Amino acid sequence: MRSPTASCLRGPALYSRRPSSAPLRLALQHRFKSSVDDPSTSQVPRDGTRARATPSHHSAQELEPSLGNSNLLKRTPEEALATKGLVFADGHGLKGPTGKGRETRQMNLHQAVRDAMRTALTSNPKSFIFGEDVKAHGVFRCTQGLAEEFGQKRVFNTPLTEQGIAGFGIGLASVGSTAIAEIQFGDYIFPAFDQLVNEAAKQHYASGGSYPLPGGSFTVRAPVMSVGHGGLYHSQSPEGFFLGAAGLKVAVVSTPIQAKGLLLAAIRDPTPTIIFEPKVLYRAAVEQVPVDDYTLPLGPTDEVRPGTDLTVVSYGTPLYTTLRAIELLSNPPPALVQFLPEKLRPPNPAPSIQLIDLRTINPLPIGEITEAVRKTGRLVIVHEAGKSGSVGNNLAGEVGRRAFDYLEAPIGLAAGWDVPVPLAYEKFYQPDVIRVFDKLVETLSY
Amino acid sequence: MIRRARVPRSFFASLSQRNLITGPPPDLPAVHHTTSTGSPLPTPTPLPHFTPHPSLNRLMLHSMDDPRTDRPRDPRQLVYVDESQADRAARAGRMSSPLRRGAHESWWNAEQGWFNAVAKTIPTYRVLDEEGRPVKGAKLPQLTKEEALKIYKVMALIPMVDNVLYQSQRQGRISFYMQCSGEEAAVVGSAAAMRSTDEVFGQYREQAALLYRGMSLSRMMGQCFGNIDDDSSKGRMMPVHYTAPDLGFHTITSPLATQLPQAAGAAYALKTDDARQGDCVICYFGDGAASEGDFHAALNMNAVLGGPLVWFCRNNGFAISTPVIDQYAGDGIASRGPAYGIDTIRVDGNDALAVLAATREARRRAVQGKKGVLVEAMTYRVGHHSTSDDSSAYRPIEEVKEWTVVDNPISRFRAWLVTQGWWSEEEDKAMAAANKKEVLKIFNKSEKLPKPKLGEMFNDVWAVPRDGALPEVIIEQRAELGHLLKKYGEAWEPWRKELKRFVEQGEDVMDCDSGASR
Repeated sequence: MRSPTASCLRGPALYSRRPSSAPLRLALQHRFKSSVDDPSTSQVPRDGTRARATPSHHSAQELEPSLGNSNLLKRTPEEALATKGLVFADGHGLKGPTGKGRETRQMNLHQAVRDAMRTALTSNPKSFIFGEDVKAHGVFRCTQGLAEEFGQKRVFNTPLTEQGIAGFGIGLASVGSTAIAEIQFGDYIFPAFDQLVNEAAKQHYASGGSYPLPGGSFTVRAPVMSVGHGGLYHSQSPEGFFLGAAGLKVAVVSTPIQAKGLLLAAIRDPTPTIIFEPKVLYRAAVEQVPVDDYTLPLGPTDEVRPGTDLTVVSYGTPLYTTLRAIELLSNPPPALVQFLPEKLRPPNPAPSIQLIDLRTINPLPIGEITEAVRKTGRLVIVHEAGKSGSVGNNLAGEVGRRAFDYLEAPIGLAAGWDVPVPLAYEKFYQPDVIRVFDKLVETLSY
Repeated sequence: MIRRARVPRSFFASLSQRNLITGPPPDLPAVHHTTSTGSPLPTPTPLPHFTPHPSLNRLMLHSMDDPRTDRPRDPRQLVYVDESQADRAARAGRMSSPLRRGAHESWWNAEQGWFNAVAKTIPTYRVLDEEGRPVKGAKLPQLTKEEALKIYKVMALIPMVDNVLYQSQRQGRISFYMQCSGEEAAVVGSAAAMRSTDEVFGQYREQAALLYRGMSLSRMMGQCFGNIDDDSSKGRMMPVHYTAPDLGFHTITSPLATQLPQAAGAAYALKTDDARQGDCVICYFGDGAASEGDFHAALNMNAVLGGPLVWFCRNNGFAISTPVIDQYAGDGIASRGPAYGIDTIRVDGNDALAVLAATREARRRAVQGKKGVLVEAMTYRVGHHSTSDDSSAYRPIEEVKEWTVVDNPISRFRAWLVTQGWWSEEEDKAMAAANKKEVLKIFNKSEKLPKPKLGEMFNDVWAVPRDGALPEVIIEQRAELGHLLKKYGEAWEPWRKELKRFVEQGEDVMDCDSGASR
């Protein structure tokens, strides 16, 4: 049976109409198929084999296609439901309560965030959503229609004060409510820093585990990273500042499926959690998202593609950039072949590159990354934030300590520069496709 | 068991309200501790005695013994009254009586005196009505024809500039824009009340004040395009984030209310600087920013520490989509001024003359008293919050239209100018045509100018003395980019395309070869 919310399901494939066998096999079939059928995916299969010859000239648009064309996004229900780590709240697994499977719907990232919050409001009457301008729809439309549906007592505007919003959320959670706060931009999270780092992060520890009271949970959402023209105050990646805040969980989502699953996990986690949402993905990232109430685990990383020669770790927007760089390396356009050493050039086989979506920034999943690097011997980290005080440097330090004997090259870091994000220069501030490409080649050929 | 003694009502009646000091029974001895700083306070704090301390005996009034029973009263019921004025002052200082703990002036009151306002209603000052006619009893500010026309010309120019830049954002020619539509009188009227040597801390919607202070259009547009004319931030900041130190205009940054404590600091510097006596700071902010902690911190610091400062609130009804009803429950922003001990006025923000007069008086008080003064200008944000906003989602278009027609700050002021005989329709038409031509000319010129040198990305991060060395991290990272540009600048189409937009096309960074880095 279709649920009312699935009535706007797009695309022909309802998972429930399929035979119940082998969703994974179907998904994998689709992966290979899509890479051949869909010209936007640039003829690069995910298994790393070289594809057919490329045209001789590429435009900038072809070299850096829009994020929405990325292979990161799951365009069929089968692919979406094959996502690792999905846990459905009804406990019925992929077959669903009816045994006929699960439904998915095409959503962009802000719709997936909204879907998660709608699910939270529906499933828990003691949950609240608040922040600046959330009543109308939020500046990125993540709360569109929620105030109308659930009433202004549960979805409400706050006065314009980030420290107030954060403290208010801690208070709500303290007495057993579920607080879902929006900080309008990650760039404006700093007035809330005291409440988040000194209070939310430490509350459980300081109270001997007493607070928040049972049922209490505090989640902060904030848009981060750049869209290409945000300048100093609309392009920052502030996650590094929260690395030292033991007691907080911090995650960065990179796809709509994650946005829903990680947000719902955060909402149901008694630990105060910050979910950073890359703002350029709100509209650009579109994929099939399971309609039902599900979570993805906060903590483990996600292997986007397997590989044996090099491990690349990224999160958020640069994950797309990195995947594109790996694709270019697997199937280099003529203009870039000259920059490859002999062993990386066709017809030699393409390097086998593992791409890991870090997802969680705090606590850093160091063990998993170390394990991966012990197998590949090489590590490159990519993020938009500047190098100093960054996730990359923290990770590199830890992995370097633990996997020193296994490393065959210095750990590479493609990151923003240690300057404020400058508007007119953003293209050269970001670790874009070519900078990541260069770092991959450098690390592989060391 | 202690028997309660009755005090005759006539006894209380004989004491005036202000002379009667009730308060806790004086069990604690009023001992002035002359311990040196840093010595520990006596611990533990002794519990109060049941009987009065002998040292307090002299404070007891004999008449307080109940005359009818002739028995001493229960000490806890004792009422004691003040001794001599000098004794009382000394004792008040010693004991820090509640009357001295932080209230300006108060009195003991046997009834609970709840309150929720210091005045029932705060009047809104205006001198012109919606049609530009002086209101009854209004005293117009002194204004020459030249001064009045200067105000009007900026008020009439800014919509032209705003429209061109707003439309250009819509066409993707600049990245962002914010109009000041509807708030022309508040911004220009207040700017006209300040002097050229004053310091201005803006929020982001005060480009008209900047024009009034003499910013050229090419500089403004240069900032919005982030081209080589952008001496505000050398292409680093979003449009409307102006800086003009020569005009006393401090850098606009996007975080809200951060400028307020900074303004308090600047005002304190003016107060203590002999060379700047007579100068003043004006700090603009909105009704939304006033909810930030920085607002409260700033007004309090300025009130306590002093410094000539005009706090100018543009209460335009909205913080993006959040209407004032979701922003505060008190009586506007003006009601907060007295809470900090700050002289305050509320003014009709669409009446340029009233804003001018009120801000002039605010400035006079601020400079004379070396203190902060709060002006709340009531206005209406006619435009969207910014080019990223569509206000039709949260307010009816009719409401906006009504404001532009019924209470238009520009036409109000213009009508007054016309009745003065200082302006005419023909002059207005000619000026509008000339403005349009000029704005478009500068816009077209500005759009064609390239971006600054790419290396400006790495400059000014840390302030480095002229002959000082750049921080290592900057040298290294600049060189890393330089190497990459040399390697891929031609071959990688997205970079080749982008580099063309910069003066020297990135050569300056490529030349900077001072060691590679990982």
